[in-house]
Amino acid sequence: MNELFTDIVLGASWTVLGYTLLLDTIMFSVVLLGARRVAEARHWKGAEGHAEIFASPLTPAVSLLIPAHDEEAGILDTLRAALGQRYPSLEVVLVDDGSTDRTFDLVAERYRLTEINPRRTASLPVRGEILSVHRATTGDPLLVIRKTSVGQKSDALNAALNLARHPLVCMLDADSLLEEDALLRVARPFVEDPDNVIAAGGVIRAANGAVTDRGTVVEPRLSTNWLVRIQAVEYLRSFLLGRTGWADANALLIISGAFGLFRRDLVVEIGGLDHRSLGEDADLVVSMLAHQQRAGAPHRVVFVPEPVCWTEVPETLRVLGRQRRRWSHGLAQLLWKHRRMIGNPRFGAVGTMALPFFLVFELLGPVVEVFGLASVALAAGLGILDLGTAAVMVGLALAVGTLLSTTAIAVEVLTYRRYRRGRDLLALVLAAVVENVGYRQAHAWFRLRGLVAALTRRAPVWTAMPRVGFSGDPAPAELVPARS
Amino acid sequence: MTVPLGGVLLAGAAVTALIIVLLVAVATVHLVRGRRASRDERRKRELMPLVHAVLDDDPDDGIPLSDVLGAPADLDDIVLDLLPQLRGSDRETLRRLLAERGVVSKAVADLSARTPWRRGRAVSLLGSAAGTHHVAGMAALLADRSLEVRCAAARALGKAGDPGAVAHLLHAVAGERALPTGVVGMALLDLGTTALPMLRDALTGEHGASRALVAELLGVHGDPSAAPALEDLVRDAREDRGVRRTAAAALGRIGSPTSTEPLVSALTNSTDPRLQRTAAEALGRIGDPTATIPLLAGLADDDVTVRAACADALAALGAEGRASLEQVAAGPGAAAADAQAALDELDGPVRRPQPAGVA
Repeated sequence: MNELFTDIVLGASWTVLGYTLLLDTIMFSVVLLGARRVAEARHWKGAEGHAEIFASPLTPAVSLLIPAHDEEAGILDTLRAALGQRYPSLEVVLVDDGSTDRTFDLVAERYRLTEINPRRTASLPVRGEILSVHRATTGDPLLVIRKTSVGQKSDALNAALNLARHPLVCMLDADSLLEEDALLRVARPFVEDPDNVIAAGGVIRAANGAVTDRGTVVEPRLSTNWLVRIQAVEYLRSFLLGRTGWADANALLIISGAFGLFRRDLVVEIGGLDHRSLGEDADLVVSMLAHQQRAGAPHRVVFVPEPVCWTEVPETLRVLGRQRRRWSHGLAQLLWKHRRMIGNPRFGAVGTMALPFFLVFELLGPVVEVFGLASVALAAGLGILDLGTAAVMVGLALAVGTLLSTTAIAVEVLTYRRYRRGRDLLALVLAAVVENVGYRQAHAWFRLRGLVAALTRRAPVWTAMPRVGFSGDPAPAELVPARS
Repeated sequence: MTVPLGGVLLAGAAVTALIIVLLVAVATVHLVRGRRASRDERRKRELMPLVHAVLDDDPDDGIPLSDVLGAPADLDDIVLDLLPQLRGSDRETLRRLLAERGVVSKAVADLSARTPWRRGRAVSLLGSAAGTHHVAGMAALLADRSLEVRCAAARALGKAGDPGAVAHLLHAVAGERALPTGVVGMALLDLGTTALPMLRDALTGEHGASRALVAELLGVHGDPSAAPALEDLVRDAREDRGVRRTAAAALGRIGSPTSTEPLVSALTNSTDPRLQRTAAEALGRIGDPTATIPLLAGLADDDVTVRAACADALAALGAEGRASLEQVAAGPGAAAADAQAALDELDGPVRRPQPAGVA
């Protein structure tokens, strides 16, 4: 009996180590794919410059949709950045989703809003009550919808979709700052390949700590908060390498809800965003892919590997935990809803690669990690673990994890170079090491709780993250242009 | 349970070595980048007088030709950056300079290079620097195995400015290695009005994708000579829906009142709401008051987008359309709301001002 128990505990311990190594190896392969593309881009950037896209009469107009719930800390900066986009034709549709703070008042005052009769362009179901619709009288192409909140971001976005009038819709978080050319860069695939491209996303980075001036990130800096620094590395790894690799494999599943561009007619055709979903961004992409596939229509989801959007990330473990639980809950909903696509070759690389990966490593990953780590601790406690061997294996797993992050930092330095200060780069490297101990395990725990919430069918609720707003203006002498 | 510890240690050492290499690379790049940027800036300052001397073609400058031809490769980058900003004889002068420095012949040789980025870079360079001299070589890359190279070839053909490339470009829209229509569209627009006769001919082409693209481009050009052929496309119920929609939109851009009849027919008889909407929008652009009654009928359509487009079109028809809208807005139903919204658009947001600070 003792022997059997020992075997089970040891087996579980080795399983988690093996699983971690396998995950890191797969991620490293994806990273290599992405790194190859980045290396090629150093020789030849393909289509350079965005002036021709700006000037082209073929560039479609864009409606920027911004759902906002209690966003008084940064809403004016976000709107300034959105309205200041260098793009030939755009409108901004802001949805004040039952804010209890001064979000609407600030916008009403700044843009001198006036109430109008809305011009509907779609009839998507909206559960909250539309209270009023307003337009800016300052000459800015801004529409503001006030509605009661039902605790769902998707409901706010559907309300915006009903009034959006342009062929492309861009969904943007209310705590995000767009770079001036962000829309041009992300719209480029739609201009060049209008028959096939259905969605596109760009790189999102942590804005915390960056120096901003009237809605513009003038100098990206790393926050002094280690939790934010680790997330900055996470974002670099995910966007600069992971998504580039997935997109190269034609298996990109997620266009971040913080900044994504979609074909409006298709979003309306599939009934808008699913109000039951917590991962409405991924759900939207997969639903669009499934719809196009079933209709036999062409579809490409494109990732633009350029920094375009800066967003506030959680600064406390409590808020981070809430965010990651929601993501995990949303992922479980997504995989359940689209379960028939998993492993289905009819859906191409998304069906055979991306969805199985998300099921095994993203959704079930925390189960293996948390229970495996517990079994390692148990085995060590019972004295049945060869500590030397375990240390070597754990060391290897940590080294591979660190290598992934270091590669992402190297790509950042070799290509986009937004972080210019040496101390920021050093902090990124340290964060890449530190995240493997403590953060990674806490992250697994948050995700596990999100999975449990999904399995117990807890009602999904969109709770906005507490905002601190963007950094104040620096003294003029301190200003360093972020872009060369 | 045994583990090949030797192998694991070896793998660990390899991974650690990789991390160290990357860190050293990061540190080196970070440290030397500033110096390299200032060196490039200095070189540019040194070489710019050479470029100016070539453009001025002034023998009094005292800069011998050998200096220009023997200048470092940075000169080519400066010239290539300048080229898109220049026109006429200055542009030709710099193109000749690049040819004499062997840049063009090297790019021609690179068109058949093994690596895609070399082919792509070469064809892009030729598009900017070689004018119409290497169109055949560039056109051959429209069938390259790399999509990025094919796109670069299309862009280069557009920049080269030879209308003879129209047939190549339109042919590249279909087939196994088809090019994205947007890339081809922008290249064809780059060719300018010299491409119009060939584009008109292509309206009766074999492939729906190229017919739709050509219809859109003719609309962008506002080419009135293309209106009759575009009207035929809108009338043809057997034609692809996408082509009919694009043709309808193009007629709106061209703005000829002769197009009112086929557009009204599409609005009234089609079962495709997207075509109906596009037809209504086009009628609004043309502004022919004879479309008032069919547009009023469109306000009763089940599709919200068709109703909105009809309301906007009526608003664009002038006094007659406005009077009709006001009549509908005073009535009941969904059409009234659409009509009122269109009137709001027309008048600007002046009613029911919202005082600042009122929640």
